[in-house]
Amino acid sequence: MQQYEVFLKKSGREEFRHAGTLDAPDPEMALLLARETHSRRAEGAEMWLVDRAYVFVADTAQLSVNIDKPHRHNDGALVAARRKQDRKSRAVEPSHRPLIPTTLSKERL
Amino acid sequence: MTLSPGGGEYVLALADDEHMIGARHTSWIGLGPFLEEDLAFCSIAQDELGHAISLYELVLSDKVGIGIRDDFEARDVHLDRFALQRSPGEYRSCHLAERGCTDWNDSLVRHWLYDRAETIRWTALLDSSNEHLAAIATRALSEESFHLEHAQQFMSRIAPARPDPIIGSITKLLPIALGIWDPVDGEPEAVADGVTTATSAELAEYWELAVRAELSDWGLDIDWPTGTSTRDVQNHRRNRTAGFDGFQADLCKVIDVDPAARW
Repeated sequence: MQQYEVFLKKSGREEFRHAGTLDAPDPEMALLLARETHSRRAEGAEMWLVDRAYVFVADTAQLSVNIDKPHRHNDGALVAARRKQDRKSRAVEPSHRPLIPTTLSKERL
Repeated sequence: MTLSPGGGEYVLALADDEHMIGARHTSWIGLGPFLEEDLAFCSIAQDELGHAISLYELVLSDKVGIGIRDDFEARDVHLDRFALQRSPGEYRSCHLAERGCTDWNDSLVRHWLYDRAETIRWTALLDSSNEHLAAIATRALSEESFHLEHAQQFMSRIAPARPDPIIGSITKLLPIALGIWDPVDGEPEAVADGVTTATSAELAEYWELAVRAELSDWGLDIDWPTGTSTRDVQNHRRNRTAGFDGFQADLCKVIDVDPAARW
């Protein structure tokens, strides 16, 4: 028996998503059986199977060194705050607003 | 659209076959050779029971005047009683569908022989003069392609790998499978009415060709059965197989608790 990873895609612009795993003797049987194990309630309009042997697995230790790097999580808050500040200062004194708000530049930069 | 008595009996034979094979297949729930196969086989069983329901509805719409899209609850009560609680002599199933197969090799071989035949039987109904039956056949065939492919794929792998038990099962079941082609008494009327577009004898020839071709593909050397077969002892599908009473009692365990229950 081989293991196969099953990916399903709903119709429209959805992406393929991992739906689970199944055991089958070969690719042809895997495709046949996956239809019933993972899409018998029409969960997918399209299906991919990937032989588990062809899945290359990364070292989790290499991935974990990036856990504590919040500065890489740019959610746009800084830019949004700056633009908000810009709008406020423009309303009061359009010609003299600072390029970077002083409060933010002290706190975050 | 009313069926003639012969047409009704012809449809009933297919309905009872689908009911029996579906119910027998479901005995593998939780016991299949591996989880994926368990799910696939029981999905097939569920499809066969679905086909039986569609055909029973068609037969019943004539017998008790309940239209196919009428009162669902009343229809279901009639349908359950009709499907489960007729006297054995009123069923028209073939012995291959009725028999118990507790061995997986037997069940697999039966699945292949039966679905090989079922596909051919539905194809003969695609142009039925009864438009409801033609529509049921179209729907059923879309599901049958999966059933047959499943049986073929499984057999094509297991037969060359483990020929002895598979040959044993084929040798045992092939003479019984010939009983699929035992025509009901009403078949000539069903053919004359155009309910079906071919006789059982004609369809049996297609089936034999297909079965022989696949046996050859899989390298299995089987002598085609001659002499007395199940086709003869079924008596035009009026006689039930040994063990039918116990099987019917099992099927009726729930309905017997409260025959008037509405689900």
